Amino acid sequence: MQRALSAIFSREPFSASRNFLITAIFWLVFGTSIGLIASMQFTAPDALAGVAQLSFGRLRPVHINAVLIGWLSMGYAACMFYIIPVLVGRKGIWSELLGNITMVAWNVMMVVGIFGLLNGDTEAREYAELAGTVQMGSTSIQILDWIVLVALLLLAVNAWMTVMTGAEKKWYVSIWYFLGALFWFPIIYIIGNRAFVQLEGLNDAITGWFYGHNILGMWFTVGGVGIMYYLLPKFTGNPLYSHTLSMIGFWTIGMFYAPTGTHHILQSPVPEWLKSVAVISSVFLLVPVLTVLTNFFMTMKGKWHTATEHIPLRFAIAGGIAYLLTCIQGPFQATRSINWYLHFSNWVVGHAHLALLATFSFFVFAATYYMIPKMTGRKMYSKRLAVWHFWLTLYGWIIMMLSLTIAGLVQAAGWHHGIPVDQWVIELEPYWIIRSISGVMIVLGQILFMFNVYKTVFSPEQCEELPHSPTGVVYV
Amino acid sequence: MRINYFVAGGFVVLIFLVIIFVTTVLPASTFKPTATPAAHKYTPMELAGRNIYRREGCFYCHTQFVRYQDRESGEMVLAGDYMYETPHVLGTERTGPDLSNIGGKYADGWHRAHHDNPRKVKPGSIMPSYSYLTEKEKEQLIAYLQTLGAGRKMTSWVVPPQELQDEYEHVKAFVNVNSSAAANSGKGIFMQNCAQCHGMTGEGNGPVSATMIKKPANFTRPFYTQYSDAMWYYRVKEGVPGTRMPRWGKTLGREQMLYLVAFLKTLPKDTQTVQEEITSLKQLDNPVDLDDNYKYVDQAAERYGASRNEAFK
Repeated sequence: MQRALSAIFSREPFSASRNFLITAIFWLVFGTSIGLIASMQFTAPDALAGVAQLSFGRLRPVHINAVLIGWLSMGYAACMFYIIPVLVGRKGIWSELLGNITMVAWNVMMVVGIFGLLNGDTEAREYAELAGTVQMGSTSIQILDWIVLVALLLLAVNAWMTVMTGAEKKWYVSIWYFLGALFWFPIIYIIGNRAFVQLEGLNDAITGWFYGHNILGMWFTVGGVGIMYYLLPKFTGNPLYSHTLSMIGFWTIGMFYAPTGTHHILQSPVPEWLKSVAVISSVFLLVPVLTVLTNFFMTMKGKWHTATEHIPLRFAIAGGIAYLLTCIQGPFQATRSINWYLHFSNWVVGHAHLALLATFSFFVFAATYYMIPKMTGRKMYSKRLAVWHFWLTLYGWIIMMLSLTIAGLVQAAGWHHGIPVDQWVIELEPYWIIRSISGVMIVLGQILFMFNVYKTVFSPEQCEELPHSPTGVVYV
Repeated sequence: MRINYFVAGGFVVLIFLVIIFVTTVLPASTFKPTATPAAHKYTPMELAGRNIYRREGCFYCHTQFVRYQDRESGEMVLAGDYMYETPHVLGTERTGPDLSNIGGKYADGWHRAHHDNPRKVKPGSIMPSYSYLTEKEKEQLIAYLQTLGAGRKMTSWVVPPQELQDEYEHVKAFVNVNSSAAANSGKGIFMQNCAQCHGMTGEGNGPVSATMIKKPANFTRPFYTQYSDAMWYYRVKEGVPGTRMPRWGKTLGREQMLYLVAFLKTLPKDTQTVQEEITSLKQLDNPVDLDDNYKYVDQAAERYGASRNEAFK
């Protein structure tokens, strides 16, 4: 108990990063398992009937919040708390204790929030469901919104102070991305949760999707790209291909991502000019995406073959290619001529998994396999488990993506021809069964991942000493 | 060096604030639609039902906006319909039908049975069972559902989708579908293309119909008195999904489809008296009112900037 407490509220360098990562991986396994249970209800709707906590409408927000706010956001925090001090030449972040307190607050918030969601305490706004409603007389406030905001501000303060107190005054591009993400996300979060104002009707939807898209654009994208800009040169031993391109990518993400939210309600009666702004800036997203990817892939030059041996690099490359797919798909889906057919269908669900599972989660996987040996001074427990994790997750998302995409096209045809729902739902069952099978693969992969990481961190005697490779790359 | 960072950082902040202003503050301050009849101020009971709808996550599978191309979901929505909808429940994904116009479509008892065991009243549905709601919650939820779209007045359920209505408004100027000349032209096209399934008299008993599980439509049913010109045009052009009826828009020209519409309108119905039938048939023998036809040619010419003679060519 004493040991556990001192490990949690530790002041030693990189302990906050490690603790964030360990708890994030728990939320990853939890979140994907919930997603699997939810997906099974598409083909066996009566299997869990009568249990309020396990009905689909409650499991879906739990799945989304556990993987987005729990796994990915905390994983990003872990990466930032490792990468920023290394880049500015500090041993550990500004205050490891503050970082650990943030970590505890975040986990408490997640537990309370998930418990609330299962029991029907929800804000009922997509990506902003975590509520923690507290009745104060006639008014009710969503207390978790404020806790998340405070936690984000603590993250930002810690990151900023680390940069300011660091020895290195020239900022590497990753720092730009991290500080940008930590500046944008709290603002977007507080706007998206509408803590100050009650907007009526469609204005509420406009603001809701401003948030709903920007949590992806200004937090997950910016943070993930920042992580990759650090990892790729480390993995390959090549210098970053172009600093200018990376800065162009940074500024244009800021310019073009923020106004795109309305493309989620492109055919609702919101103002036409707003839709046009959203569609145009969505298509312009190709600019940052292509600069970022050009940079990624040119940095890889001459080192592609190392991915056969280097597991973290393998994750990074797979994530980068998935990022290319996501960001080619995304802008085209947002145009009116394609959106009118695909919107509301399972295609979009496939797209979301492509972005958040296949791209950004893979970036964090790569970072985890890289950082854990660096932080703990131990070799990863098992390379074979890591390879299994890679292939299970990779094939998992490919199968999931394909089945959801095909299901989405069938579904869209059903809507388009005005065929009643209960007729085409039968057509979709095979695809939904395949989707659940891919879900089993993904969950299994994450369990192996968790086992591998926990075994490395928690049982020192079984691990070999850290090998030092000449390029500074730790092979798993 | 430091100052450059601050200038650059200030620029990011400024751009971002401008974007926030444009995409959230500007719409919120300029976009103020007025309430339509479909906008509904909720009573406490209905509001409680709406909160259950949100709490149970119904909006993850059911949307509440009918789009231009949604053919089975009833009337399209207007901006003013959402005046009292906060927080919004527009939805993002449609695993179940759109609920914008569900109010009044089914009886309360149907909803209750459907919530308790969806597959009892809708085989093939994959909706979860909501039998765990308390009696009071079930009543509240049903009260809310019955308000949805109740202010939208449907004049007929047999209407083509909005996009086909608009298209028909655009093409109807080319042929006078009320003229006997057009109907006679349509008769020839019907005999060549349609009669093998629908029969010589449109009774759905053509020779090929014997091979079909889903029988072709019998146009003499009184049901078809509800068909508007645009609805006929829609069925001819787009076919009928789920049946062997092809999309004639792929093979026939625009005028040919309109001739067919003109002919299909004249087919007698079961309920018509002999006298009515004779009158409608006689109409076909009446000499064409040439001026009436010229009116349509003129309209077409005006629209496309051609002279009457050119339009005839």
